[in-house]
Amino acid sequence: MKPPGKGLSEFVAEANEVLDALGRNLLALDERRGQEADPDLVNGVFRSAHSLKGLAGMFGQDRIATLAHSAEDLLDRLRLGKAELSDPVLDALVEAVDVLQALLAEAARGGESPELAERVKDLSGRLAAVAAAPAPPTADPLDAIGLPPEVRAVFTEYEEHRLRENLRKGLGLWKVRAAFDLADFDQGLARLNAQLKPVGEVVSTLPSAEPGDGSGIAFDLIVGSRARREELETALAGTPGKLTPLSEAAPKAPLRSARVERVAPPDTDIARLPDPPAGRPNPEPDASLRSLTQTVRVDIQKLDALMNSVGELLLVKANLSALAEAARSGAPGQPTKSLGQELARESRSLERKLDELQKGILEVRMVPLGQVFDKLARLVRRIARERHKEIDFAIDGGEVELDKLIVEELSDPLMHLIRNAIDHGIEPAEDRVRAGKERRGVVALGAYQKGNHVVISVSDDGAGLDVDRVREVALEKGLLTAEQAALLSRRELMNLVFLPGFSTARAVSELSGRGVGLDVVKTNLASLSGIIDLESERGRGTTVTLTLPVTLAIIRALVVSVSGRTYAVPLNSVLEIISVASDEVRTVERREVVSLRGQTLPLTRLGRLFGLPEEPRARHFVVVVGLAQNRLGLTVDELLGQQDIVVKPLGGRLKHIPGISGATDLGNRRTVLVLDVGALMEEVVAPERRVEFS
Amino acid sequence: MPTFDQLLDEFFYRPDEADGPLFELAAGADPAGPEPADEAPAELIAFILDDECYAVPISEVREIVKVPPLTEVPRASPAILGVMNLRGEVLPVYDIKPRLRLSVGPVRVAGPGAARLPKGARVLVVRSDAGDAGVLVDAVRGVVKVKPSAVEVPPPGVAGGERDCVVGLFRRRDQLYILLDLAQALE
Amino acid sequence: MGFKVLIVEDSKASRELIATTLETIADVEVMQSSSGFEALKLLPRHRFDLIITDINMPDINGLELINFVKKNPNYRDTPLFVITSEGREKDRARGLALGAAEYLVKPFEPQSLEGLLRRYLKIA
Repeated sequence: MKPPGKGLSEFVAEANEVLDALGRNLLALDERRGQEADPDLVNGVFRSAHSLKGLAGMFGQDRIATLAHSAEDLLDRLRLGKAELSDPVLDALVEAVDVLQALLAEAARGGESPELAERVKDLSGRLAAVAAAPAPPTADPLDAIGLPPEVRAVFTEYEEHRLRENLRKGLGLWKVRAAFDLADFDQGLARLNAQLKPVGEVVSTLPSAEPGDGSGIAFDLIVGSRARREELETALAGTPGKLTPLSEAAPKAPLRSARVERVAPPDTDIARLPDPPAGRPNPEPDASLRSLTQTVRVDIQKLDALMNSVGELLLVKANLSALAEAARSGAPGQPTKSLGQELARESRSLERKLDELQKGILEVRMVPLGQVFDKLARLVRRIARERHKEIDFAIDGGEVELDKLIVEELSDPLMHLIRNAIDHGIEPAEDRVRAGKERRGVVALGAYQKGNHVVISVSDDGAGLDVDRVREVALEKGLLTAEQAALLSRRELMNLVFLPGFSTARAVSELSGRGVGLDVVKTNLASLSGIIDLESERGRGTTVTLTLPVTLAIIRALVVSVSGRTYAVPLNSVLEIISVASDEVRTVERREVVSLRGQTLPLTRLGRLFGLPEEPRARHFVVVVGLAQNRLGLTVDELLGQQDIVVKPLGGRLKHIPGISGATDLGNRRTVLVLDVGALMEEVVAPERRVEFS
Repeated sequence: MPTFDQLLDEFFYRPDEADGPLFELAAGADPAGPEPADEAPAELIAFILDDECYAVPISEVREIVKVPPLTEVPRASPAILGVMNLRGEVLPVYDIKPRLRLSVGPVRVAGPGAARLPKGARVLVVRSDAGDAGVLVDAVRGVVKVKPSAVEVPPPGVAGGERDCVVGLFRRRDQLYILLDLAQALE
Repeated sequence: MGFKVLIVEDSKASRELIATTLETIADVEVMQSSSGFEALKLLPRHRFDLIITDINMPDINGLELINFVKKNPNYRDTPLFVITSEGREKDRARGLALGAAEYLVKPFEPQSLEGLLRRYLKIA
């Protein structure tokens, strides 16, 4: 079928969701390698691959459909017990997820690269070959229990397989009949399922074909269970379920119960990564982990709350219009004062409602960090395999919520930091043992909320950094002078690794690799108004901490004026404001500086930087801004106050104006530009430290 | 001290209320009357820059608004007068006169000491791939219809060099219209 | 008088695509249901001229839905198509055995759906 034009974005959005679910379930299977696989998980992965195939087929995405089909075939054999979930099978499936993701990204962009087409072909072949081992054929135990043919007729092949499996393990099969009201049978069934789940597997839910009175509906649940009749009766207590045996459980049950493996993952997931297989190193460039869609799933109740706010705003609007009409008609006796009071009251009401609306919308934009953490877990597994490193990956705080935009922007910096930790932080197992450490390294990703900020940490227990070497390298590169270095604290010295130019190949090898692209990470983070900090100890490991605002959509800003123009400075990058007399400003190497508590603070006149006409002044205000490890004083004429602002992008034509991150409306239709503090600091501070490298 | 009425006006002002929608303009336009239906005429918005009359396809114009307060953008191209806020959307506003070799430098219409604009001045909000933008014009003349065959290729002297955004000329009664490629003019 | 068609399919994009196709073919009112349970709730409340269902769904499978529809005197005369990416012959045979009128495998051509629609709804 040819999709309608707008179909592609719908396809990408849904395929993305399906693929996310697939990846998640596969990861769960992967974490329990070597154990008996949870049939629900296998079936879940199968269902995802199946849906993706169908979806891709309908939308003419042949490459995705082909690969999904190969994966589906393999998974189908797995869930039907015709193939075993061996390590090569899992590896191939994990790789398939990566390739599918890349394909989807291409589809979203509307491209088709020959490299990917080639990989699809290879991988499809591997998926077909990897699980060719057939299970030994056995007599069908289903035939033995004498299920009525009309019941058997409605089982899918998979359900039949699950029945057989239950019988093979010596479990009993039961029929539970339950009648419900048509209006809420799904809740009733959910309760029934929840009560049965601890004692058995609900293989099939059959709506009874016997016509009811129109207001009710009955279901037959086919349940496989080791439990005795009395136990099942107890489990069914309080539900409308009536129990009938189809076949009894075998008296001598094997010790290992199929239920045991179905342990819910603990809150802190420790994914035990497999020891790397020898050979077939498979280095591939990291695809971006950003999701392909800009959609956020929203609880309908949140939308209802927003809708209510809008309704209340409409009331306020009606009141204001009535007041306006009253004022316009200008009845001579109309006291202006009472109108003014009413207007003031309405405006307060308006403010309150807008506040609610704002809060509601911010809430809708929040998504759990877990969305990115899950993807990173897959990445860790892959990199560890490629690099032959033995690594445990610990995740904590996936439930912490951040603005969707920030979560998206974070995925690439986090990927970078984690790759660094694995590539250069964690030592080879032999070195670790020699150093008296655990053989397996630990890379941990954690998050927690702290007031209006979220703190995310990436840590490893690897080789760590030597602060003296960091200082030496920074001096060698001319990133700072010996005098400057002498003034820096240990922590400030450590953070020199974020300077552009620090991370050259030589520095990398000398410092166990720390610093690869760290300046990029820092820049990305600065654009999110985030602060980065690194702490490390030689031999003990490294922790990089990112501190980010919970939301970017609304920020508090300092409103300043320069040469009669007004600008907004995001308050989260403002450290303090000082007033400086002109004669306190000194000039060092043609640059203006001021002494602040014994430290030298470089100054930049905003007006001069922006090419605005300057007037001589006796005193200036200096807004001290800091991002990451840099400090800068911005000289302005006046401070106009603080205000919550919504930053809007300047749009395609103006997006590359250095030092301006967007615009905002301060009310009275006054549009004011918002300064990009990160870019300004980059521009002003970096050049004096940066030394050209070839 | 502003009067209460002015405050109210300010409160309820919406820039887009100031001018009627495009089709109202279209209704009174084009005094030449309907054309024979053998060729579908193109609909153009005609506007004035200095004393010349320019035209662009109506499909490229999103709306026409009174000139709102503009905010200067430091370090932007000199052709950008500033940004305007159109119902929450921030759009750059261009002066294309220098591009067309009309006025020498862009007028300052934003920031302190801004020049007063002619009363009929408007901003055409135009669609473009590089991002929507506003174009400051001295006045809007209305909608003209022209058959594509009636458009002449501009003589080399007119279209060459910096005026490569001029893509055609046509005459309506005694008025010469210059057909512009706006995307090119905003480059 | 238009026709009323029920689509049971857990993929929203697929559902929309089928619905769009149907709506361009004939004057049909399409009701969409994302699960078998939802379909069970919709069935007594409407008179459908056609039911189109997927096989693989999260709650009850399509075969169970077919069985339910075909055994129930209130709905048994309603033609029912299966549209699924299920290629498995066993399930296909079962679907048809349970009373599905047609079994389409995704992706399919709009023309084939159009032909079937005309036949079963008796559209000229």
